[in-house]
Amino acid sequence: MSRLRDRWTPWVAVAALVLVVAVTVAIVRREPELSLAGRRDAALATEIAAASLLVAAAVATWRASTVFAMLLTGTALAWLATEWNTPVAGPVFTPGLVLYAAWPALLAAAALHGLDAQRLSKPAVVLLTVAFGSGVGLLGVGSAVVFDPAAQGCGECPTNPLLVADAPRLGHALGQIGLALTAAWAVAFALLALARIARASPARRRWSAPVLVPAAAAVLLWGVDAVHGLERGFVSNDPTDRTLRLAEAGALALVAVGVALARVRARRTRRALAQLVLDIGAAPMPGEVRAWLADSLGDPTIALLYRLEGGEWIDAEGRETALSPPAEGEATRVRVAGQDVFAVIHRRGLLDDPTLLSELVTTASLALEHDRLHAACRARLEQLRASRARIVAEADSQRRQLERDLHDGAQQRLVAVALTIRLARLRIAPDDAELETRLAAAEAGVRAAVVALRDVAHGLFPAVLAEEGLAAALEELSEQVPRLVPRSLPPGRFPSEVESAAYFATVESLRLTQHDVTVEAVAEEGELRVVIGAGNQTDSMMLQIQDRVGAVGGTAAVCDGRLRVEMPCAS
Amino acid sequence: MRLVIADDEALLREGLARVLEDSGFDIVGRCGDAEALLRMVEARQPDVAIVDIRMPPGHGDDGLVAAEEIRRRHPDVGVLVLSQYLDSRYAARLLEEVPAGAGYLLKDRVSEVAVVADALRRIADGDCVIDPTIVSRLVARKRARGPLDVLTEREREVLALVAEGRSNGAIGERLFLSRKTVDSYVSQVFTKLDLRESPEQNRRVLAVLTYLRST
Repeated sequence: MSRLRDRWTPWVAVAALVLVVAVTVAIVRREPELSLAGRRDAALATEIAAASLLVAAAVATWRASTVFAMLLTGTALAWLATEWNTPVAGPVFTPGLVLYAAWPALLAAAALHGLDAQRLSKPAVVLLTVAFGSGVGLLGVGSAVVFDPAAQGCGECPTNPLLVADAPRLGHALGQIGLALTAAWAVAFALLALARIARASPARRRWSAPVLVPAAAAVLLWGVDAVHGLERGFVSNDPTDRTLRLAEAGALALVAVGVALARVRARRTRRALAQLVLDIGAAPMPGEVRAWLADSLGDPTIALLYRLEGGEWIDAEGRETALSPPAEGEATRVRVAGQDVFAVIHRRGLLDDPTLLSELVTTASLALEHDRLHAACRARLEQLRASRARIVAEADSQRRQLERDLHDGAQQRLVAVALTIRLARLRIAPDDAELETRLAAAEAGVRAAVVALRDVAHGLFPAVLAEEGLAAALEELSEQVPRLVPRSLPPGRFPSEVESAAYFATVESLRLTQHDVTVEAVAEEGELRVVIGAGNQTDSMMLQIQDRVGAVGGTAAVCDGRLRVEMPCAS
Repeated sequence: MRLVIADDEALLREGLARVLEDSGFDIVGRCGDAEALLRMVEARQPDVAIVDIRMPPGHGDDGLVAAEEIRRRHPDVGVLVLSQYLDSRYAARLLEEVPAGAGYLLKDRVSEVAVVADALRRIADGDCVIDPTIVSRLVARKRARGPLDVLTEREREVLALVAEGRSNGAIGERLFLSRKTVDSYVSQVFTKLDLRESPEQNRRVLAVLTYLRST
């Protein structure tokens, strides 16, 4: 329904313009001397051109900001209606009487409402009240109800149906007050417009100033005219009035140009965004949406953050980040159905234009949602990986502690026990052969326990791995397990979880086979690549190894009967 | 022979002292940490200090550090490091840092009094001693290049004994061979493995140990 209305209301505006122009031309032509345009056709043409440009600009913005467009159309029509305030106006004489000073108030309302439907501040509301009160109230209706054309000696004037009682002195007073107020609010409006421009961010200023500045100029010119007519109590058509009228026409034309500029800018952005959707298609790479936004909005500092259901913010790579813009930037959150969905970090003021932001959300929403899901997925994977890594690291640390406890505690005690038995053996009577045999057996048992315990402790977590790294640990392992054959091993240190993953992959391979096991490794391109040759490896045997390697973000796969483990190890 | 024993496990320390006293050694000091050990060596000037590798305060390789310190300050005092670690790296480090009069034995050897006594005497003589278990593991390792394959069984036996720190004379006694035969075996082994023979016995042990570890 509202869409249908959107479609035909602009044409109503155009039809109204045509009608008003026709009426105005007829009135001015009938008695040019009485009009503001005067005898010169060019002046009339300029007036009509200014009105037409305003209506054209209004039609162009109708869909995006209907209220603004209607106010602009009203301004254009009222601007022409100023010419109706003349004895030869016939049936529109009274409307001319009432509306001849209405256009500056309508223009002020349009400019303050703006293309982006600004909420009116209190001073703006007061100002518009004064504007309409003085323009339509005092100068229009107020003067009309006490003006009897016939009594004032205007024989050819049509009758004034609004007339209550003829009171020329009151009419004069009302006119003077109206003109004084007009001059006052014109200045106030200019100041308000300037203040708004000064306070606006650069981006908003770029597209609001071209409308506000000429609007303020037009209103000020009207204010000057009001001062000029203050003594006589009404705006007339002497040469000064006519000159000012022409200047006002120029200012109004500039308002229309300013509106058009803002529209062109918005359309360009939308086209760029539409192109973005076409270009990134169904499967944008992470970061591609960001690059395109930076390109189309002309802000290379742009960054996109997405919000997870848990409330944390992540970047396109899925890394958790704080929603804190840099010093010269700001963060704009975008909410859908009351929920933060993503945020744009950008140059200050870039997204002040709400139409731009809503264009962005509607046009790029598919791509953004895709990017967001992608980032969320990565974030979840990263959380899982981190959790696995923590579990493995915790297990390693516990095994290391256990290894220390066994070495320092149990093993030492057992050695001491063996020693004590030995002391006892030295002190038994030479003829007690049975006791000697038993003690010897006990001592041998304890010593065997020491050896067994040492092997257990070493299998838990070799101290050499933590102290000297992978190469030393594998060399040392080969001293214990002769069938392990270390080949070339990189001497440097790597992150401890990477070293232990490589080490335990080797230990597991040794466990899975009775054959010789070769191990070689190379560190290149930020990865530690380990190749373990153990004869008859298959994927199904690799579950434990894959768990460990996966926990550090690496891969393990059997290839040509050899296990290849690759782990990122950039420090 | 005068000894100082440093081990934080009191039961083991006292037991070892008793066993060694029974075997005719003179225990002039006992302590439980590295600092006390250094003071005691300073004060009592023993022939050999027996040092546990893992001691307070660090519980890491404090004993090894203390051994190096003793040898630096008191070149006449030998050091026997007792370790619960089978791997050869600490042994190699000890020999690298302490050129002579040092030994590295596994801790579970302490009840084999004869082995300990033999090691102590050799250390007091300025030789070096490496635990046979560690050496035999090194020799038994499979290797990518297999350099030990060129040696005969007998030559490998000789190589292991050299690595344990035995002199040619001692090797001869062990294998029932004449000194001359052992000399020729040793030079044969060194030639085959491309090692330089050093007149100093401890240098030759380090060379062999390093060779075994690195191949």
